[in-house]
Amino acid sequence: MAAEYILEMKDITKKYGENTVLSEVSLKVRPGEIHALLGENGAGKSTLMNVLFGMPVIHATGGFGGEVLIDGQSTHIASPHDAMIKGIGMVHQEFMLLPGFTITENIKLNREITTPSLLSRVFGKNLETLDMTAMARDARKALDSVGMSIDEYTLVKGLPVGYMQFVEIAREIDKTGVRLLVFDEPTAVLTESEADQLIKVMKEIAARGIAIIFITHRLDEVIAAADGVTILRDGQFVADVRTKDTDVTRLAEMMIGRKGESAFVTAEPRAFADDAPVALDVRHLAVDMPGEQVRDVSLTVHEGEIFGIGGLAGQGKVGIPNGIMGVYDAEGEVTLFGEPVKLNDAHAALKSGMAMVSEDRRGVGLLLEESIEDNIVFNAMQVNGEYTKNILGASLRDNRGIREHANRMIKDLDIRCFGAVQHTGTLSGGNQQKVCIARALTMKPKLLFVSEPTRGIDIGAKKLVLETLVKLNREQGMTIVMVSSELMELRSICDRIAIVAEGEVVDVLPVDSPDADFGLAMSGIKPGREA
Amino acid sequence: MHGINISRKQAIACAALIIAAVIIGAIGLYGLNARQSASGVTLLEEMRLQAILNTAGTGAVDAYVAAEKQAATKAVRAEGGGMKEVREASAKAAEEALARAQELGIGEVALSAIDTKPLASALNTLAEAQTAYFDEEARAQAAYIEAHADEVTVQQDADVADDGEEMSDLEMMEQTVDLSGFTATAEMQALQADVDAAYLALCEEIKLVFPALTDDILTSLKATITGIVAQSGDTFETRYDRAVEASGMQPGANGWIMRNGRTLALSAVGLCILALAVFFYGPLVAKLGVPRLIIGMFFVLLCLMALILDLSLTSQLSNALVRLGMNGVLVLSMLPGIQCGISLNLGMPIGIIGGLIGGLLCIELGMSGMSGFFFAIAVGLVISAVTGYLYGQLLNRLKGDEMSVTTYVGFSIVSLMCIAWLVLPFKSPVMKWPLGDGLRTTIGLQDAYKHVLNNFLSFEVLGITVPTGLLLFFALCCFLVWLFMRSRTGIAVSAAGANPRFAAATGINVNRMRIIGTMLSTMLAAVGIVVYGQSYGFMQLYQAPRQMGFLAASAILLGGASTSRARISHVVIGTFLFQGVLTLSMPVANALIPGSTISETLRILISNGIILYALTKSGGATRG
Repeated sequence: MAAEYILEMKDITKKYGENTVLSEVSLKVRPGEIHALLGENGAGKSTLMNVLFGMPVIHATGGFGGEVLIDGQSTHIASPHDAMIKGIGMVHQEFMLLPGFTITENIKLNREITTPSLLSRVFGKNLETLDMTAMARDARKALDSVGMSIDEYTLVKGLPVGYMQFVEIAREIDKTGVRLLVFDEPTAVLTESEADQLIKVMKEIAARGIAIIFITHRLDEVIAAADGVTILRDGQFVADVRTKDTDVTRLAEMMIGRKGESAFVTAEPRAFADDAPVALDVRHLAVDMPGEQVRDVSLTVHEGEIFGIGGLAGQGKVGIPNGIMGVYDAEGEVTLFGEPVKLNDAHAALKSGMAMVSEDRRGVGLLLEESIEDNIVFNAMQVNGEYTKNILGASLRDNRGIREHANRMIKDLDIRCFGAVQHTGTLSGGNQQKVCIARALTMKPKLLFVSEPTRGIDIGAKKLVLETLVKLNREQGMTIVMVSSELMELRSICDRIAIVAEGEVVDVLPVDSPDADFGLAMSGIKPGREA
Repeated sequence: MHGINISRKQAIACAALIIAAVIIGAIGLYGLNARQSASGVTLLEEMRLQAILNTAGTGAVDAYVAAEKQAATKAVRAEGGGMKEVREASAKAAEEALARAQELGIGEVALSAIDTKPLASALNTLAEAQTAYFDEEARAQAAYIEAHADEVTVQQDADVADDGEEMSDLEMMEQTVDLSGFTATAEMQALQADVDAAYLALCEEIKLVFPALTDDILTSLKATITGIVAQSGDTFETRYDRAVEASGMQPGANGWIMRNGRTLALSAVGLCILALAVFFYGPLVAKLGVPRLIIGMFFVLLCLMALILDLSLTSQLSNALVRLGMNGVLVLSMLPGIQCGISLNLGMPIGIIGGLIGGLLCIELGMSGMSGFFFAIAVGLVISAVTGYLYGQLLNRLKGDEMSVTTYVGFSIVSLMCIAWLVLPFKSPVMKWPLGDGLRTTIGLQDAYKHVLNNFLSFEVLGITVPTGLLLFFALCCFLVWLFMRSRTGIAVSAAGANPRFAAATGINVNRMRIIGTMLSTMLAAVGIVVYGQSYGFMQLYQAPRQMGFLAASAILLGGASTSRARISHVVIGTFLFQGVLTLSMPVANALIPGSTISETLRILISNGIILYALTKSGGATRG
């Protein structure tokens, strides 16, 4: 154990096709250390962990560049199972527990303690009898070490979420020879007291000489729990610092950073006076969208503004437009140009002059087996009865009108396709997104929501989509609310940006606010309040 | 190459097939040609002569033996021997006479040894007379069947087992008019006299060859000899086979080619079609998909087989057309279900039952003809609209498992109605069991609306009867559904099925759209069963509706629909291929393996196989 680091990942580079997601990233973890891995969504944290665990997705896409050393020895980790043998464990963000089994059974799953029986002598080791007592003893020990007093024979089904997290940890600790544990956003689902408890447990585990990699975006937890921090940004290694040498603000700064020239579309931000005409007013909105819960959001968007909503994934920013547009159940008060909007009624929302480009393009955004033209006119036809003609009392689709409009949209938005009748399922992501925008525009909305407009599309298409939004805003005066995980993007075209964390608006910041303010807001800390 | 990419393998296979087709076709054409040529005609003629002489020769030997026996018996009697002696002597004489007859060659004669010309001409005269007679008989019988077509009646009930399933509608085409009342016409009798005269002339010639033959024996041989010369529905092949068998001659390769000329020529056509399919494999698969290509080729194969086996292809194609029309609406009823997202509506019996009740009411009220037909449809629509609405409500509560739910609902409703059919208070004697309560399993519609569509404006072209009214009605239904699917509501229904979340985000009431689709599907099923009944001529109650959902489902899937997307073209192509294959496979299979139920097995295999295939292709779309 002469090596200084239990784990050393050197110059890890990973490409998915042409797309570099990790570029010469290094990570060093000492034995018994809690090391935080910090970064925005898409910074490369997950990919780095996939490399560490030898996940099939890495090997299937051409492997990676760089070197992984365990105890100073260069190692090749072939599979997650191989990682387990080498003493690396993972506490998953989504629980991997069997609800119908007891805690003991879950902890010892696939590592059961067995005694030979008559059947096993004949048919082999797989039919040996379970030694429940011994298993329960081990489980008890593991539960005790995470500070859980719950009975080890309790069924997992019905346990509070926090307990499940601890059972998951207990299972990893119970593995013999575990030397390094990875905690993937363990506090995301925990209450505050549970989170405190978790940090305590983590420290106890570390005290026993087990190193911990702690993936999180909560900066205060990093300061509270970690000894060292590695920060990633856009697949680049930013810094490896000791927590005692830094503070929350500097961490936030490093996490967000400024990317300078990489902004390819720029629109000069404009200031709107507080008494400027209001386009959209949202009061105490709560939206029940799984994975993107909105708890209590209040916002005001001025007429003619491009309003950005940012924040980390899962914090609820995407829930806001979905709630207002009636896609998910919502509560609260929304007024559009002074008119109240009926919630939980997608038809009424569309009718009132709002349109949305959904973040879930293939799920909610498109009819993949229908043609481009049918997709483009769908809403206008269903909601406003446009593009139909009345024949003998039946309103039938107006073929010529639809084709003309679709061709115009295809030209305006530069949708690359074989023609208006091509199925949208066969288009590239960027072109699909343009079809979605075309459909929203066909509604001639007064207010347009765009949710994650550049997700999963190539750089050229991104540019075009953003330019289109700016053009719509500047030339037609359309008010736009843009929701995006990419802060860069928001800062390049928005006038103001609201940052959402844990289902609430933390702050509404001007575009040119310092990086640190955005970073802090994303982890739920309102800069002004802290200072 | 015109934008078609041909792989090396394809090219080789294609070339090999064409070469094989050319060789086989050439041989076949040569064989067909040989039939007409002098040598071919002579060959058949000689074999036929030999066959007849063999038969007559056997008769001659019999006559000789009988004469010897009689002589021996007489001799013993004269010596005053008892019964025992007589028997012994008779047996001994018979044995000796047989041996001697063989020694002397009484029953044998070489064709070369005699002058065959008068014999041959007498034989030809007989053959012509017989052919003329059979033609007349066929014509007269057809006329008789035409005249008595309406007599195909409900006596079926007696034959059909209680389980309605036993009698498949495929057998519909097999129903024949009872010919026991048929008597020979005057023309037939005149022609029969010609045949008799020709036979007597032939006998005279035969007697010249075999002096031993008596008139008695020749009379008794008449059936055998005329049987060799010609039979009803004769072809070259059957005549040839009989001649070979009775003559014992070995006609050699030439004869074989002549015999199989037709088969070979048709096989060559088949090979050419196969070669074309291989050549255009890429575009064909892209356009039609593998299953349609396979079934399409199978259909072509069946057509060729029908020609080779000399089944009446035109009448089979007429049947296929009728079946397209009669099943078309039922298959069409699958479409709104698939489009609205309930996948294959295997609960179709719900609608069918509505239509059946409509039909029953029509009979009960004594309505008939077109008005009865449309009355049945109207009643069926009303009932199935109500049941379809309730059924749609049920399906909305059980989203995600539609396939199993629809299957169970279909089965349950059929079973439930089995009780209902027994207790419903219908009074008409046409429908009720003669004894006891309840409705019959099969109810004839000849007094109601049987064939009102089939016969409407129907005409015959190239021997194929086109049921114009039926096809028009089917086309009308397709057109209406097509129109609906292009209407604002129809598009909303399709969207709700294709992507419920998308539809909901646009403010479409997905549940309502699903109910509309389900109702439409159920109502079309009601119309479909009435159309089906009018073509079939019967209504089948009890277990019969149970399988119909599966048959319709496999037809539309075969047409190219998936479990989540379907178009009108899928309905038409699928119904035609599915019903065409079934219609043709039955007579072909029966001709190949007489008395088998292979066609029924085939139908179950094809229909269920297609459903399974489609489910594997749908990639779990039913769960989405």
